[in-house]
Amino acid sequence: MAHDTLKTREAISALADGQLRGQEFARAVEAVSRDDDDRATWHVYHLVGDVLRSGDAAGHNDLAFVERLQLRLKSEDVVVQSTDAIKSIASDAMNTRDNGQFDTQADSANASRFRWKLVAGLASLAAVAFVGWGWVGGLNTAPPVSLATAPAAPASAVVVAAEQPQIMIRDPRLDELLAAHKQFGGTSALQMPAGFLRNATFEVPNR
Amino acid sequence: MTGAQPPVATDSDLMLVERTVAGDQRAFELLVIKYQRRIQRLIGRMVRDVDLVEDIAQETFIRAYRALHQFRGDAQFYTWLYRIAVNTAKKALLELKRDPTVSEGALRSGDDDDETSWHGNEPTSDETPESVLAAKEIAAVVNAAMDALPADLRQAVTLREIEGLSYEEISTVMNCPIGTVRSRIFRAREAISEKVKPLLDNQSGKRW
Repeated sequence: MAHDTLKTREAISALADGQLRGQEFARAVEAVSRDDDDRATWHVYHLVGDVLRSGDAAGHNDLAFVERLQLRLKSEDVVVQSTDAIKSIASDAMNTRDNGQFDTQADSANASRFRWKLVAGLASLAAVAFVGWGWVGGLNTAPPVSLATAPAAPASAVVVAAEQPQIMIRDPRLDELLAAHKQFGGTSALQMPAGFLRNATFEVPNR
Repeated sequence: MTGAQPPVATDSDLMLVERTVAGDQRAFELLVIKYQRRIQRLIGRMVRDVDLVEDIAQETFIRAYRALHQFRGDAQFYTWLYRIAVNTAKKALLELKRDPTVSEGALRSGDDDDETSWHGNEPTSDETPESVLAAKEIAAVVNAAMDALPADLRQAVTLREIEGLSYEEISTVMNCPIGTVRSRIFRAREAISEKVKPLLDNQSGKRW
């Protein structure tokens, strides 16, 4: 416990000098914000610095000044955001300053856009592959199993993507898209749809 | 003026600002604790009435809090706060000049940047002889604690607090790793704080 206290205070000392980044910064700010003893440490460190710089001790009114300000701040509008948003903002701020250190638990703001772009790209690729396969002439029988097979739990795939920073390779909308393309099975881009051809079969009348 | 340099901790100030804007008021209080004495000294150069100095300082921080979402981080936080303090003090001075009940003695004219106009040891109307003595006592304890420090700790904290050097610069000057600089500065602060904290507790009558 004593070691942890010393470690925290050392972090507060480094925080006062702007030396902390990333998780270390977040932990130190949390400690100073939430714990009265750590807050007192933050105050004394700055008081000592002021005294050394100017000889001005003026610390006796600090408590009253801050308490008075706290009362006024309570009546000010506060931007209310979720704890996750606060962590995300602080994390984003710290991540832009860290050299290559990323918070793996934080999802970037445009991650969902990237996932949808990936899905759209895969869907296009699948559609091209599907049409190309039909042109080769192997689609009259059963459609490719890999394309027809729907994932067992598309909803869970989406959930997993939300919980872990992994690339999503199946999506229910992709399956719908692929299912829609099944209508045009057995044709090439240059041929008419098979259904139309069937309707246009020429029958020789019996004489 | 010896050592009158703004703190170098710009990144941590910016991150505290971001936390405040995100809704964490306590992060703003940390900034207040850090800068309140500096802001009060600044305003005291412009306004003689020390009751007004504290009121204007309070108003400065309230205005800063309201405008925090506009702070872009392209300047140091202290510089931005400094401008708010000066503008708030000027506005207060204008209003005071219009008030016929306010004497000229309450006002202080002069350049905002005139360092020589600061008379930091003038007693305030809030201060009793006991509180002035308490402030001097704190300063004496800090200086005595500094003198009692081992040479390497004293040098590290002097370079940081008085000369305003970064950890990297101090490690170059003292020819030691940055981790050692961090440790020495911390140990120096701890040694001084051990002597100062009981004094603050006695004077305020309660813990922070």
